[in-house]
Amino acid sequence: MPTFETLIELNEIERDAAIDLLTRLGDDDLIMGHRNSEWTGLAPILEEDIAFSSMAQDEMGHAQAYYQMIHELSGDDPDTLAFGRGPRAYRCSSFVSLPNERDWGFCVLRQFLYDMAETVRLTALEHSSLVPLAQLARKLRGEEKYHLMHGRSWVLRLGNSTDDAHQRLQAALYKAYPHALGLFEPTSADVTLAQAGICPREEDLMRQWESAVVPVLGDAGLEIPEDVQPVNGGRVGRQPEALKELLENMQVVYNIDPSAKW
Amino acid sequence: MTDSQWPVFEVFHQQARGEPHIYVGSVHATDPEMALILAKEQYARRQACVNIWVVPIEAITASRYEDDDIFERGTDKSYRESWGYVTPKTTQQSDQKKENA
Repeated sequence: MPTFETLIELNEIERDAAIDLLTRLGDDDLIMGHRNSEWTGLAPILEEDIAFSSMAQDEMGHAQAYYQMIHELSGDDPDTLAFGRGPRAYRCSSFVSLPNERDWGFCVLRQFLYDMAETVRLTALEHSSLVPLAQLARKLRGEEKYHLMHGRSWVLRLGNSTDDAHQRLQAALYKAYPHALGLFEPTSADVTLAQAGICPREEDLMRQWESAVVPVLGDAGLEIPEDVQPVNGGRVGRQPEALKELLENMQVVYNIDPSAKW
Repeated sequence: MTDSQWPVFEVFHQQARGEPHIYVGSVHATDPEMALILAKEQYARRQACVNIWVVPIEAITASRYEDDDIFERGTDKSYRESWGYVTPKTTQQSDQKKENA
């Protein structure tokens, strides 16, 4: 399989497919980072507050890296991508938009499911034919490894804790799972990306993800939801009301004066 | 004041392999594995770190400050310190340099 040493080596169809992929990755990380940052000052204990906030910053940093790569492909400005779009222009999964509702169990479960999806995808992207993307995936490996350790540890502890904690976590899993499957909603770029060796098919990644999360959820004593229909739509801009509300909050300062220099 | 939170773990970090682990502070955590996870973000997110130790505070036996007089020296023991030795040659050389300057 030929490799693309630089972004300019992509043809037009591959370039559009790469932008589609990078937009999904960047938007997922930005919105997940923002959601998790909503715990700053509210997390159960100080140490966790700092750790969760720091990981939220990591995700926003990853979003910035993806937007920078989009900038090199399309000329779009990273800040405008992050703050200058309406909800329908975002390509994040509904999973990251789901409100926290001050439910710590749900949020650490989501963090685990999300970071396992990132780990599966980034591990595959380390071998991407698109060399700059493969290099970025390797650079993010350490932070993602830590995120996964964190999420896994919390899920195992809450799942094996009191009946109350266990039941809440189980309810959170039923709520989260269909949306988590939506992380692997295939787009029109799916075949192009796989054929060009840039990123595997979404259904392949979903299978890998399921075989990675199921044993951990089992160790946490949780029932795995069966015959679940994925909640799709985010990858084509069909976004829930929750994302609109999140963006109104996140973009409020930017929208006062989009041309302001910081 | 009694601590009503999770158990306390003392945290030591190592800035490079071969360097000593240095005490940096403490974290509250349910268990050692969680203490490592939380300690990483509290004490290793801004500076170089290759390794962290966490130690349950109960594992540490400390001397009493009331007994800190045991560390006082009854007589001159400066001979035990490296600075207790005068190094006249070096001093003379540096004095010489000053005069020549």
